[in-house]
Amino acid sequence: MFRSTLKSLACGVLLPLTICTAAQAQQPSSGGTLQLVVTPEPPGIVTGLVTNTPSQMVGGNIFESLLRFDQSLKPMPALAESWVIDAQETTYTFTLRQGVKWHDGKDFSADDVVFSLNTFLPQVNPRWRNIMKAHVQSIEKTSANTIVIKLQHIFDPLLLMFENGSMPMVPKHIYDGTDFAKNPMNNTPVGTGPMKFKEWVAGSHIELVRNPDYYIKGLPRLDRAIFRFIPDAASRAIAFETGQVDVMTGGSLESADVQRLSKTKGVCVSTAGWELFAPLSYFQLNVRSGPLANKTFRKGLMYALDRELIRDVVWSGFGEIADGPISSRTRFHPEKAEPSYDYNPEQARKLIQQSGYKGETLNYLVAPYGEIWSRTAEIAKQLFSDVGVNINLITTDAAGWNQRARAGEYDITNNWPYQYGDPALGVSRMWVSSSINVGSPFSNTGGYSNPEVDKLFERGATASAAERPVIFKQIHNMLADELPALWSVDIQFPTLYRCKVHDFVTTASGANDGLLNAWIEK
Amino acid sequence: MATVRFVLIRLLKGAAVLLAIAALNFFLIRAAPGDPASVLAGEAGASDPIYLEQLRQRFGLDRPVIEQLAIYMKNIATLDFGFSARNNRPVLDMIMERLPATLLLTGAAFVMSLIMGVVLGVLAAVKVGRISDTLITLFALIFYATPLFWVALMGQVVFALKLGWLPNIGYVTVGADLTGLAYVTDVALHLVLPAMTLALFYMALYARIMRASTLEVSGADFIKTARAKGLPEGYITRRHVARNAILPVVTLAGLQAGQIVGGAVLIETIFAWPGIGRLMFDALTQRDYQVLLGVFFCSSALVVLFNIITDVVYRIADPRIQMKA
Amino acid sequence: MNGLLKTFLHFARNRGAVVGVVVLLLIIACAVLAPQIFPQSPWRMVGRPMMQPDFGGRFILGTDVVGRDIAAAVFHGGRASLLVGLVATAASLLIGVPMGALAGYFGGWVDDVLMRLTEFFQTIPAFALAIVIVAILQPSIVTIIVAIAVVSWPPVARLVRGEVLSLRSREYVQAAIVIGQSPLRILFTQILPNVIAPLIIMGSLMVGSSILLESALSFLNLGDPNMMSWGYLIGAGRTRLLDGWWISFFPGIAIFLTVLALNLVGEGLNDFFNPRLRERGER
Repeated sequence: MFRSTLKSLACGVLLPLTICTAAQAQQPSSGGTLQLVVTPEPPGIVTGLVTNTPSQMVGGNIFESLLRFDQSLKPMPALAESWVIDAQETTYTFTLRQGVKWHDGKDFSADDVVFSLNTFLPQVNPRWRNIMKAHVQSIEKTSANTIVIKLQHIFDPLLLMFENGSMPMVPKHIYDGTDFAKNPMNNTPVGTGPMKFKEWVAGSHIELVRNPDYYIKGLPRLDRAIFRFIPDAASRAIAFETGQVDVMTGGSLESADVQRLSKTKGVCVSTAGWELFAPLSYFQLNVRSGPLANKTFRKGLMYALDRELIRDVVWSGFGEIADGPISSRTRFHPEKAEPSYDYNPEQARKLIQQSGYKGETLNYLVAPYGEIWSRTAEIAKQLFSDVGVNINLITTDAAGWNQRARAGEYDITNNWPYQYGDPALGVSRMWVSSSINVGSPFSNTGGYSNPEVDKLFERGATASAAERPVIFKQIHNMLADELPALWSVDIQFPTLYRCKVHDFVTTASGANDGLLNAWIEK
Repeated sequence: MATVRFVLIRLLKGAAVLLAIAALNFFLIRAAPGDPASVLAGEAGASDPIYLEQLRQRFGLDRPVIEQLAIYMKNIATLDFGFSARNNRPVLDMIMERLPATLLLTGAAFVMSLIMGVVLGVLAAVKVGRISDTLITLFALIFYATPLFWVALMGQVVFALKLGWLPNIGYVTVGADLTGLAYVTDVALHLVLPAMTLALFYMALYARIMRASTLEVSGADFIKTARAKGLPEGYITRRHVARNAILPVVTLAGLQAGQIVGGAVLIETIFAWPGIGRLMFDALTQRDYQVLLGVFFCSSALVVLFNIITDVVYRIADPRIQMKA
Repeated sequence: MNGLLKTFLHFARNRGAVVGVVVLLLIIACAVLAPQIFPQSPWRMVGRPMMQPDFGGRFILGTDVVGRDIAAAVFHGGRASLLVGLVATAASLLIGVPMGALAGYFGGWVDDVLMRLTEFFQTIPAFALAIVIVAILQPSIVTIIVAIAVVSWPPVARLVRGEVLSLRSREYVQAAIVIGQSPLRILFTQILPNVIAPLIIMGSLMVGSSILLESALSFLNLGDPNMMSWGYLIGAGRTRLLDGWWISFFPGIAIFLTVLALNLVGEGLNDFFNPRLRERGER
């Protein structure tokens, strides 16, 4: 009896809930090597410095942030053991875990957190830098293991920032006083996470090994993890089928392969693990001039899109139809958008004619990130030409797309930026005027400028938790009406894995925390 | 002696050519849209003007182009390939760790294709017009005419997936930590599919050229004389025909050898072979100028070298050829 | 009339060549008549996606990932692919042959300069250079042809140079020089006719390799997205090789047959032109 009380005390207080539920379901075994695929080969794995998906998938197991999030986006302890928010919602006090060690043996302390939040991350992470400037007043340590963050005003989404993909805690003793990007330790990173860096063989793989001093007893369960780089999609599928790799995550998998491979014995699929990032895809429109500057024309295009066809044929049935800018997995997603659109070519033709379209050819910049976007472009071109709109497809490689997209040199393109759990964190940057011409393809490259929307987003960021749902519902509906983009598929990236691998996807960051709880059935 | 002088002069000229090529590559690559800073910014998923400026500084892109060129040329002259700001490592290290894998792959394929191609070509020529000629030609053609990546993928499906005889990706069984003979065997097994796929493709080329050239030479007068003298056909073929017929093949082989570095890009991509071809392609899509220029420079050096070797072989094989260095 | 018949019969001794000519003419006919046989645009989604080939039904070769008729796609695709192959090869030869001939004949500084120029184009790996050119100029059928021509001419030049170098020192050429024939006349009447044989083979192989190079560019997403070519079709179907083999298979067969036919014809022409072979054949 004592033992079970201890267990339930441990669960919920010290250990993430998901481990406990798993533990009660089946006894996890220890040991083994997990082979995963990551593509393309990341340029680096210090997740603060590099924030693309492959880097996060590998680096997320080496570095940790203050928090993790469960699949309903509820914050859970990571390096922060507990936290208190005062009544005015402007002071956050974090109590850090004790006895945590960096992978090189040195002790983790509040000094590292202060350094990371005040010095390192503002220097290298544009999102945190902007949040610091706009919302944060001060970050200080008040004892050896307590941090206090004082805000300028209420900023409800603050906690959601503390995920290990873009806000890792880094060792002060390694980075302080150095050129962060050029620090030689970047190639042999030192973090606090469940896995330690072992080896990086360029062009082949990265190997991580268990951190024996990890602060949660019993974790991690794996001995080693190997991330293989396999550039070709068909080769990846064959590698999985022949048993060379055990886990493939979204981005390394074509949806068609998922359908085929998931029917194999011993293969499991999960669509969870993307709740924090929640990519929502749309056709981004350059609304500065030409036919696309006309709202009626844009509405016509929206009715011409058969999004269910795209979802079923291109995404092999994965994903939901999006009706506005906010993903169904992100906070404050309204139940239904007003207005909403169905596939109606007749209506499309009418509106396009009404708008005064004279047959100008629109340049559609095809996203060079896989078959899915090529097929999407082709289908869209067909659907649009069926209602009388002329489209010219333009293809480039990734660098070319980056260049054109961020400079707004397109009429239509596809985009699917991460939402980071809260519309103030991931959605606003796409539609506010201040985000035009900032040099990133994941910004307001279409030039959409609406002062009302700007004001709403501003209020939404700093409003209290009670007011925010109303504000964002308004924004959602406004953008569903204005159509700066044609809302398409709320993406589900399936994770494919062998059923003997358990607990790989247990948090809202999915694969980024994959090795924390994963274990292989003997 | 004349040959030695020839080689030395050509080497000197080669060095001059390399520098000119390096400079031209520099501008060529920059003509493509995008630069390494914007690529990284794009991958970051979030950016602001400060971030972009930081990146530009890191890559040295904030300096005027002429200055960047001057720095680059000075480095090249001292064989300093510079630093990849994207990967935070010296370019030379990145190239040196990937080059052996490619040399192994293309070297094996080259040798296999040359031997198979020459033998098949001579065989086809000797049996010209007969069934075996047609069959050999057809066999060679099948592998030449089918897209390389299709053959590669089919090879993976048949031998790795369905039969399970060979591994489908990589150059070694990762995680097995083999050493000694077991390691060598492991690499050899991984080498079979990619090298054979590449070899079959080039083999067709050699077989065709060798056949045509052999036919050309077989009808020559001095061959007729040898035959009239009563020498056995096999002896004639080996000693006289093959030696002369091989010249166009030497040219082609020289060209092929020079393509060693870049020629295997597709194969390295499909088989996840950690070679320099894939490094070059990735550097191209990432606009990592330093790495790209480093790889192009290595490739240039190899081509210049092989052109010199080819010309020397020409002189040795056919003394009637006079070439000024 | 008698002479023409005799010529044709001589050519027809090589049965492979005849087969090649027939197949090639068939393929060209299919490409030319594609708009008549399949009047609808091959881009249209006309059926259920991923339908298997049904030789008795509506979609003889099946449908692809988004429901396009593969038979229509293959027929229409021939136009783009053949265009790319022929034009790119013609351009390569037009550049490479004069370069190589002049370098090989005159030697000296002419040889030097031309060969250094050739070397430049060869030192960047051909495939990479093609990708860079297409990336700079933005993928379209024109830029792809330019890229293929630019990377394909150096081998032509070097082959021609090698052959010319070798032939130049032959007795009959020396004789022509001694009696004072102009270099151009010597090149055209004495030397180049003997270079034609390897050139024809190279040319026929090059049309094939141009088509293959175009398919490789499509594989890497650098094909012209507005023009359907065989390479594009293979690229579109290559990730479905395991559950939709027909999508890549039929355009692959089309490429294969075309390249095969071209080679057989090239072979036939080579045998036809080879005077020594002619003698042997008439033994």
